[in-house]
Amino acid sequence: MPKWFLRAAVVCAVMFVLSPFVIANADYESTMGLVQKIFYYHMPSAWMFLVAGIVCGVASVRFLISGDPRHDRTAWAAAEMAVIFGVVTLVTGPLWARRAWGTYWVWDARTTSSLVQWMVAWAYLILRRYGGPGSDKLAAGLALFGVANVGFIYISVNYWRTIHPATTVVPKLPFTMGFPLWYCVASFTLLFVLLLKMRIRLEEQRATLDSLYLSLDEQH
Amino acid sequence: MSLSMRTLAAVVLTVFCVSVPLGAQVPQPSGQAPKNQGEYVPIEQLPPQDQLPAAPLLIAAYSFVLIVFFAYVLSLSRRLTSVQRDVDRLGATLKQSSKP
Repeated sequence: MPKWFLRAAVVCAVMFVLSPFVIANADYESTMGLVQKIFYYHMPSAWMFLVAGIVCGVASVRFLISGDPRHDRTAWAAAEMAVIFGVVTLVTGPLWARRAWGTYWVWDARTTSSLVQWMVAWAYLILRRYGGPGSDKLAAGLALFGVANVGFIYISVNYWRTIHPATTVVPKLPFTMGFPLWYCVASFTLLFVLLLKMRIRLEEQRATLDSLYLSLDEQH
Repeated sequence: MSLSMRTLAAVVLTVFCVSVPLGAQVPQPSGQAPKNQGEYVPIEQLPPQDQLPAAPLLIAAYSFVLIVFFAYVLSLSRRLTSVQRDVDRLGATLKQSSKP
């Protein structure tokens, strides 16, 4: 791993350790109270969930055009990131909603399309794991559907009737709530980059292992 | 099953299907809206039986996030170590076998 990785990992760990203190100092939202503080982990993880979908889609397009396996490895790693950040989003959201909305789940445009996005990421991984030869290109096609769905997820709250907050909430936050949010966004972004780098490294090592096995076969 | 039995079964089934939804209807007092309908009630002012404690949900959410990321980092580092070990072992085997 590169030298910057360890330094960045330490910074990320320190940021996550400090985050509860930063969040504890944030103002309480007037109607929801304490439970609204789930927002500071829910929203950054949701953003990383969408970023993972975009990275997976863009890398898949580049793989389909160029055939470069490096883009394929990036897409595979990003799909796994989408599953991890997606599960965090889809669990923390309902825990917040249980108190704020009175129910864990509503089948509105935002939540349903987010669930679809998570299932697309799972489908990508299952396809890569069990699809056999040619599954890389099939999965890349699936990733294109995923990246199209990302846009739908983002705008869905502005166009369809839903009780999920609209995208206009974040820019209107006061500093006392905005600072903890952006602090958490920075922490989650750093975590996303580090995990993605680690996951890409795993695929690179697997590719090296495959080439070593081929060399060994040629020798015998 | 005879025709009369079929008719009886159909009547019983119809009565059951109609009576259950009718029985489930809660009569609303006519002429006046229910208390507090259409007015905002802060969570803190709800009666105790309607309140849901926030702390367990908050703790559950934060614990879940930390456990998921910790487990994933652990899984990823174990997979990386395992593959790295295989690469090293195979590299050494290749070097040995390529020696004259």
